[in-house]
Amino acid sequence: MSQGFSEDNDMSRGSENTDDEPPKWLSFRSLLVFSMFLRVFLIVYGEWQDANMEVRYTDVDYIVFSDAASLMASGESPYKRTTYRYSPLLALLLTPNSFFHRSFGKFLFSASDLLVGWFIHTILKERKVPEKICTYSVMVWLFNPFTFTIGTRGNCEPIVCAMVLWIIISLMRGNLSQAALWYGLVVHFRVYPIIYALPIILVLDSQVFRSGQKPPLEDWNTGQAKTPTSNTEKKTFLFSLFTALKSLFSRERIMFALVSGGVFLACNAVSFYFYGHEFLHEALLYHLTRTDPRHNFSIYFYHIYLHYERQFSALEKLISFLPQFTVQFALVSCFWQDLVFCIFLQTVAFVAFNKVITAQYFVWFYCLLPLILPWSRMKLKWEGLLCIILWIGAQTHWLLWGYMLEFKGLNVFLQLWVAGLLFLAANTFVLVKIIQRHRFSPLFRRYESSPPKHVKKLH
Amino acid sequence: MASQRRRSLLTLIFICCAISSASSDQVRTSYGDSDQIRSLCISDRFIMESYFTTSHTSLDDSEFRNFLLLQQCSSEHDPTSIVPATSLIQHRNVTGEGSHRNLLTSIKLLPFYSESKLHELVILERLPLGVFADPFELQSLQQRRVFSDVSVFGDTNLELPSFRSNRSVVEIHVEVSPSDYENGEISLKLPLHARYQPLDDSGYSRVEFGEPDLFLCSSHEQRRCLVLSIGRSKTETRSVFWDIPAGIRGHTEYVSALTFAAAVLSAISILVASVLSSKVESCKNSKQS
Repeated sequence: MSQGFSEDNDMSRGSENTDDEPPKWLSFRSLLVFSMFLRVFLIVYGEWQDANMEVRYTDVDYIVFSDAASLMASGESPYKRTTYRYSPLLALLLTPNSFFHRSFGKFLFSASDLLVGWFIHTILKERKVPEKICTYSVMVWLFNPFTFTIGTRGNCEPIVCAMVLWIIISLMRGNLSQAALWYGLVVHFRVYPIIYALPIILVLDSQVFRSGQKPPLEDWNTGQAKTPTSNTEKKTFLFSLFTALKSLFSRERIMFALVSGGVFLACNAVSFYFYGHEFLHEALLYHLTRTDPRHNFSIYFYHIYLHYERQFSALEKLISFLPQFTVQFALVSCFWQDLVFCIFLQTVAFVAFNKVITAQYFVWFYCLLPLILPWSRMKLKWEGLLCIILWIGAQTHWLLWGYMLEFKGLNVFLQLWVAGLLFLAANTFVLVKIIQRHRFSPLFRRYESSPPKHVKKLH
Repeated sequence: MASQRRRSLLTLIFICCAISSASSDQVRTSYGDSDQIRSLCISDRFIMESYFTTSHTSLDDSEFRNFLLLQQCSSEHDPTSIVPATSLIQHRNVTGEGSHRNLLTSIKLLPFYSESKLHELVILERLPLGVFADPFELQSLQQRRVFSDVSVFGDTNLELPSFRSNRSVVEIHVEVSPSDYENGEISLKLPLHARYQPLDDSGYSRVEFGEPDLFLCSSHEQRRCLVLSIGRSKTETRSVFWDIPAGIRGHTEYVSALTFAAAVLSAISILVASVLSSKVESCKNSKQS
């Protein structure tokens, strides 16, 4: 293939590319069908492996969800199941596991996974990305080995990803109340999307979201040519932040905050009504105060283990939270207008600086990666490949030491910790490279166009 | 005549001493003859079912023995044909590598037990503080008929390190058939997992296993159990231990310092890259407009 995969091309030369249509067999529909069959096959294979091999295919978490769901189906609290730390909604969704088939949940999660692929395609199409680049970007999600194993092994993250993408679609279509409803629900389900609150609120500009009208989107083609139109003007980040904060209490923002806050509180209230303090501790407070000394990718695990015998003071906890907070604030301040890029960066940084990192958290940004690839100037050779190799290499290095500790019983805590530091370094490098190579493109276009020489005013 | 009688008496005594000393390192008898616990009468499915609900907190020998004393049968239920409480633990070992290992025990039952109506061997493993058994894993073993029944009592939290957890006890029920008496050995393999250990300067923390408590029980509702042996916490003859990796206290200061330095450095890199990138964009746009 002369043009190859989308990352291979310099994206900014897309308009010169005459070969815009992918081959017929590579159409989105055929990709989706193939992905569906692949996932069905893996679920069936998983059942066989569970029954016949010592090492199970199914994730331990799936067994936890199923047990909690069957407890709920028989009228008891799902929190009676130890290590069930999710919303009761998840157990409710999986109740058919008890009376239908124990793999129902896996089919549900894999279907969400395919839905994420569909949403990625929808978002890119609405932003007028060429079909070929669109298709390749969708493949980054659908054929990512991590993605198709996570749903088929019974992990619930694809549902969260689908909800986040649906929120983006709703915002793009101007359905603010729907976006707010799903946002409140997703924060109840998994606490981490709370980090998206600030950029979403900032982007809900009155000049963009006029009631009853679909907001104008900044599409892929604008900014591709050498001279951008005046509509894609970007002020310095301080100025745009200042103007956004000036009208912070606009109708749209207040409405979004109220609806999402209301949905979040309502879900928690209903769960609390049924399951009391157990729900609060296991599903909410645990995630906010979790300090697990057991080994994981985070740089903090050994520090936490060495200090576990004595508690941390409030000051120490605050200090350890500062790097995370600073990075989140910096990313939001600089990139909030390019909403999708902003939340992608925020998610990667959030996971990298978190006190506990497990592999399932990576799905949170894998689903957003295809949405920013069309705007990246990064070429697969060799910068893209370097990023991939460094990131996967750092993980593999950590996993090797983890194997020595867990399966060979050697004391390699120090080496594991250094491997964690290297993983943070790899994350930082990849993040910086992505920022440098990104073609900044705000999600929404403002209605007014200003004369070229003057700085645009809001009113 | 008198000397003959004396000689035969001496021979008898000698033989008895020889028998008792030959098997002394393998025979485990209960504490002191004066308050020997011989049999238990319990109404629950598991012997340990009521242990933690009746205000017992630790699993040490004295508290455990007191609990058993309370479960003793009253005199009218005591069988007249009481046999000496003996069993033989042939072999005990921890196998495997890493944080997930197996505790292997092989037990020999003496043939005269086959005459009793007691067909279930109950083994109580009072686990030391540093390890735990996964109840769900044990349940799947039970489903595969490895054990006829199994349950874990006590602290079953799978996630807390050992200095924040309490001990647990695994009660295993194994069906014994007449062929087991003939062949001699009943083997048990109990999968165990290591908890995170308290810090140690050597880098490893040693967890020692005592002997299990063995009972032979009937299978029906009101269970009658014969006490075979109540194990000691530490054995004189064999020491079964597991060295689990532990954090080294000496690392604390520089690990904390370098962790924060790395976090701060990364945060600054990302901050600088973000600010520079937005400056570049605005310069580019202001040049073109």
